[in-house]
Amino acid sequence: MTISPELRSEIEYLVNCYALAIDDGELERWPEFFASDCLYKIIAKENFDSGLPLGLLLCDSQGMLQDRMEAFSKLNVFGPRSWRHMLGAVHATGSEAEIVARTSFVIFETLAGKDTHILCAGEYRDIIIREDGMLKFRERLCVYDTTMIPNSIVRPI
Amino acid sequence: MGEALLSWPDGNDRVPYWIYTDQGNYERELEKIFYGPVWNYVGLECEIPNSGDFKRTQIGDQSIIVVRDAEGGVNALVNRCAHRGVKLCEQDKGSFSEIMCPYHQWTYDLKGNLQGVPFHRGVKGNGGMPADFSMADNGLDVLKVHVRNGGIFATMSDETPSFESCMGERILGYYDRELDGRTLSLLGHSRQRIGANWKLMLENIKDTHHASLLHVFFVTFGLFRVDNDSRVEMDDTGLHTALSSIRGKQELNDGTAQMRSFDSDLALNDPNLLDVVREFPGDETVVMQTLWPNVILQQQSNTLATRQIVPKGPNAFELHWTFFGYEDDDEEMTARRLRQANLMGPAGLVSMDDGQILERTQEGILAHPDEQGVVELGGRDTDDADHMVTEVALRAFYKGYRKVMGL
Repeated sequence: MTISPELRSEIEYLVNCYALAIDDGELERWPEFFASDCLYKIIAKENFDSGLPLGLLLCDSQGMLQDRMEAFSKLNVFGPRSWRHMLGAVHATGSEAEIVARTSFVIFETLAGKDTHILCAGEYRDIIIREDGMLKFRERLCVYDTTMIPNSIVRPI
Repeated sequence: MGEALLSWPDGNDRVPYWIYTDQGNYERELEKIFYGPVWNYVGLECEIPNSGDFKRTQIGDQSIIVVRDAEGGVNALVNRCAHRGVKLCEQDKGSFSEIMCPYHQWTYDLKGNLQGVPFHRGVKGNGGMPADFSMADNGLDVLKVHVRNGGIFATMSDETPSFESCMGERILGYYDRELDGRTLSLLGHSRQRIGANWKLMLENIKDTHHASLLHVFFVTFGLFRVDNDSRVEMDDTGLHTALSSIRGKQELNDGTAQMRSFDSDLALNDPNLLDVVREFPGDETVVMQTLWPNVILQQQSNTLATRQIVPKGPNAFELHWTFFGYEDDDEEMTARRLRQANLMGPAGLVSMDDGQILERTQEGILAHPDEQGVVELGGRDTDDADHMVTEVALRAFYKGYRKVMGL
């Protein structure tokens, strides 16, 4: 199967908009990027490679995405910071019905009054489908290489 | 730092800040605590189920290989070649049948015995090791290991009393409640580095009442809150603590009314997260154990984990989380444990707050080694309590710490 240039740019648009929404702090938009039946998981590469299921963060429904979003926005306690997702080129295969995409990412985190550091590096492993005319993530695995997370991850990645 | 600073104020209700920041004190802690007569947690048997399986871990500043040998025994070996000091193992985990140093190919068996030295007898009559070179005397440094119900502990000291007598009957009771002899199944790891002194992590778990104030999520859903039926119990040294508690309701009462973080209207869109089933004897829904010196063994609802504390100098530590279940868990139970794991770890709905606040604590005290913290909630004694509105476990902890450190 090949991915047409039009579909490719649509996929890139989705992947880009997702990262921008988070970096811009528009967390309330985060669940919208997912299909109604969805899985979002941040998982350490050491677990992923060993077939261990534990995620750093796991949402397996739209409701859980909403709950997480509200926790990040209102409930959790953390200092002010900026995030910057740097994305690699999107590698997309599969078909219009089910797109399989992989994209490298690095997240730079800048805490108020401190040096910018790398929060984590890894890759998105996505399954993308079309729902109500829009591309959505049915599955988004964020597989991170970083051995030691510097303190905490206080937003979705 | 002047000598005057390195003294302890009178009483158990003040903690001097230099113990969190002083490099000399940190080095004494390595010697007296981590390399001393204690049982350091080094892992779970389910991480190395088969012969040859190993994991790399750390005790204090030292790198340690924990490996299962051909006979099924568990060994803990210092990760340093006996020849020239090369770090033998770089992988975090894996499997091997022998340990070979890549530099000059000294080879050890999985018990740490030296098995082979290239050119031992020389080449064409030249060189070789002296005739009296002893293979037996040049093995790896081997630690004493104790395994109890799937938990692996190691000690560097010959003076360490038995694991059972170090823990005491009461703490062992809680330990055996969670690690009850069933085979454990490994769910995965997460690891984070927190810019705070290692003792602050133990304190965080011993400090029962912060959960009612800092953690909105806990507070609102009653998972761990001062108005819950609770107990704080210590061993005779005060160094180990078991906190146990029974989940409360989402209701306004004289406890929750004093918590600014309580929100009686908060509801989960997907209540599956808190689909908790009872699986242990007794009514307790949370048991948090801090086992001296380096591990937290925890049950919060159906999420089970160890948190290994690896100190990194006075101003930082790593937290290595291992989440597990039991071999006889069905699919539904495993899914439940994985969902509830959202509460914990570096992005935990609850423990995220702790990582942040511990670093802020370190930043707050860094420039003030001569000041001291107040631990007077619940009185000035060090006795067990049948409620959570107390800092008694901190007072008991520092009573024990002072004795170990000779302070």
